[in-house]
Amino acid sequence: MEYFVVSLLNGTVHGLLLFMVSAGLTLIFGMMGVLNFAHAWFYMLGAYVGFTVSRLTGFWFGLLLAPIVAGLLGALIERFMLRRVHHHGHAHELLLTFGLAFIIEEVLKLFYGDGLIAYQMPSYMRFAAFNIYDTNYPFYRLFMGAVAIGMFVVLYLLLTRTRIGIIVRAATYRPYTVEALGHNLPVIFQGVFAVGTALAGLAGAVAGAFFPTGPNMAVDFGTLVFVVVAVGGLGSVVGALIASLMIGIFISFAVGLDVSLASLLGLVGLGSWARSVGGLLTLQLSTIANGVPFLLMMLVLLLRPAGLMGDRT
Amino acid sequence: MKRSVTVALLLLAVAGLIMLPLFVSPNFINASLKMMIAALFALAFALAMGQAGMLSFGHAAYYGLGAFAALHLMRAVEMKLFYFPTPLIPLAGGAAGALAGLAFGWLATQRTGTYFAMLTFAFSELLFTIAPGLNAIFGAESGISTMRMPSWGFSFGPDIQVYYLTLGWFVFCTLCMWAFTKTPLGRLGLAMRENEHRARFLGFDTHVARTVIFAISCMFAGVAGGLLAVANEAANYTTFSAQNSANVVLQTFIGGVGTFFGPALGAAAMTYFGRVASDLTRSWLLYQGLLFVLLMLFAPGGLGGIISLHVRKVRAHGWRHLVAPYLLCLVSGELLIAGTVFTIESIHAVMNDAYRGARAAAGGAWVPYQALGYSFEPLGLVTWAIPIVLLGVGALLLPVARRHTIAAWKLATTEQPPQDAPASVIALRDGAV
Repeated sequence: MEYFVVSLLNGTVHGLLLFMVSAGLTLIFGMMGVLNFAHAWFYMLGAYVGFTVSRLTGFWFGLLLAPIVAGLLGALIERFMLRRVHHHGHAHELLLTFGLAFIIEEVLKLFYGDGLIAYQMPSYMRFAAFNIYDTNYPFYRLFMGAVAIGMFVVLYLLLTRTRIGIIVRAATYRPYTVEALGHNLPVIFQGVFAVGTALAGLAGAVAGAFFPTGPNMAVDFGTLVFVVVAVGGLGSVVGALIASLMIGIFISFAVGLDVSLASLLGLVGLGSWARSVGGLLTLQLSTIANGVPFLLMMLVLLLRPAGLMGDRT
Repeated sequence: MKRSVTVALLLLAVAGLIMLPLFVSPNFINASLKMMIAALFALAFALAMGQAGMLSFGHAAYYGLGAFAALHLMRAVEMKLFYFPTPLIPLAGGAAGALAGLAFGWLATQRTGTYFAMLTFAFSELLFTIAPGLNAIFGAESGISTMRMPSWGFSFGPDIQVYYLTLGWFVFCTLCMWAFTKTPLGRLGLAMRENEHRARFLGFDTHVARTVIFAISCMFAGVAGGLLAVANEAANYTTFSAQNSANVVLQTFIGGVGTFFGPALGAAAMTYFGRVASDLTRSWLLYQGLLFVLLMLFAPGGLGGIISLHVRKVRAHGWRHLVAPYLLCLVSGELLIAGTVFTIESIHAVMNDAYRGARAAAGGAWVPYQALGYSFEPLGLVTWAIPIVLLGVGALLLPVARRHTIAAWKLATTEQPPQDAPASVIALRDGAV
């Protein structure tokens, strides 16, 4: 029971974090058709900016500056790079952002070295929020979850209740009609790109203080973000939320469970046969847990490319 | 270029590769072997990407499967289960790559563009994550290793014999791929890249065609993996890593995906510089990334595209009017490159633990740092003046050089209309200059 509750909580928080990063990516994709490969690298950038600023002025200021820096960089990249290659097609845009991901990572490594950096939450946030059985549940995990939920609420209200939101949503469906109605489409695109990358930067600054911050954080997280966006439906914010929670909770449970196909077959009396076959059948769930999201992503892309909540392919 | 000139150049290149071991150090033989494997891998990737427009972000999957298939075959031979000649071992890699490419390609080629890229990415990541758990096939985290067995009168012990083995396979596979681009299926690939709907409308089963082309591409990737297995006698699950998939994409596009030999040259050059430069600088990946992004922005055809554009241009209009503006470009470019390299290397020299330690030992003073073989004062006037002057003058010259270059191209195209004026004009408009 203890394991169940703790895993569920951890998984939910992990899922919410995933959502923070993937929300921006899915918005950008839904609107411009640009799969921003470098998106998770803005998450990494956010963590590094948060670290640098928090050492100079304090943790909260870092939290404020990280999304601003990430968003500004995103806006510049959209304006001076993506727009240049737009007429070459989406594959070309994907390749460009792929190269940019390389550059962001290498520049950060240039300044901060190849190792982990000591980005820590402030000490007054380091306490147990409550106890579940014998486990002290850290307050900071709840804080991360709260930031993500707050972000979702703001984003949702912004998209559904404001004039800007209506224009943005309209631009995802009929960009050229929106342009014909007199709205400045390139500026809308640029704004969405900036907001998306800023959200990734904020997530990085929040999560980097709890999880290890280092050169690998973008690759590790970035692959999962693609899974979320594909599974949730490209362009759907709600789909991204559901997919993030699903994947976060699944991973959190799977890494701690010693289950294999053989043990499942054991329930129906085929355990010894399965163990004698070996191979995939005796593989522990915990060792293949990281692969399952990719399997899910492949299945969704093949069977329902619109994703869980998307309505377009 | 005339056909005979092309053939002569290619024969010369092959002859050069055959003679190469006579002139270089044993260490370089190993490096050139890896260059050929990388070039073959890039050609295989470009077969899917350039020929049929399928952007695969997970080609390392087939490369890795090829390597492991070859290793298992080598192991079986080593344990005397049966006899199989060592020079033919890469066949196992090709077979594994083709089978996996056929099976997965059948599924993935139902999607195109970004979705196809994501599918291939997911497949290679899936392999990468579950491979360490599959002991029997991929040998857990440490991988599997074996020995090359002598056959056909060769021991296959020294690198030089492996070099000629790799060279033979490289030339053979390149010829096959070159021939493939001339087959009806290869031409159909081009048609599908340009407009798949139209190809389907003409009555072609584009799904089958795309699957077969993808499988052929995977087969050659598998052969490259098999050659890697023969050369290294070992492999582990990191062969499947996104790093390998990413490298082949970078190298191919730097070389130029629109030309046949561009990817091979790009891969060979990048592998070579990766080896040489990793001794000189630790920021090689940054330079490679910068080169890639610049090419994507200003010359989507890659280095091969630039070269072929100029071959056509020079044949149509001669080269004299281009000399002056290009000299200007060269000067400006050199200044900018020098300034960038100086800045990056200086940052690298200052931002590390060793330098921080030296500063702490000197009581917090800004002690001189070593970069590019010289010693610089971090707060010295000269240290700051070098990059500012280099970058400043380079940036000032750049618009001038650009204006003159565009003028020279336009002048030539308006004065004497050549046969292929549209192509050069389009290239000019697209900013390939």
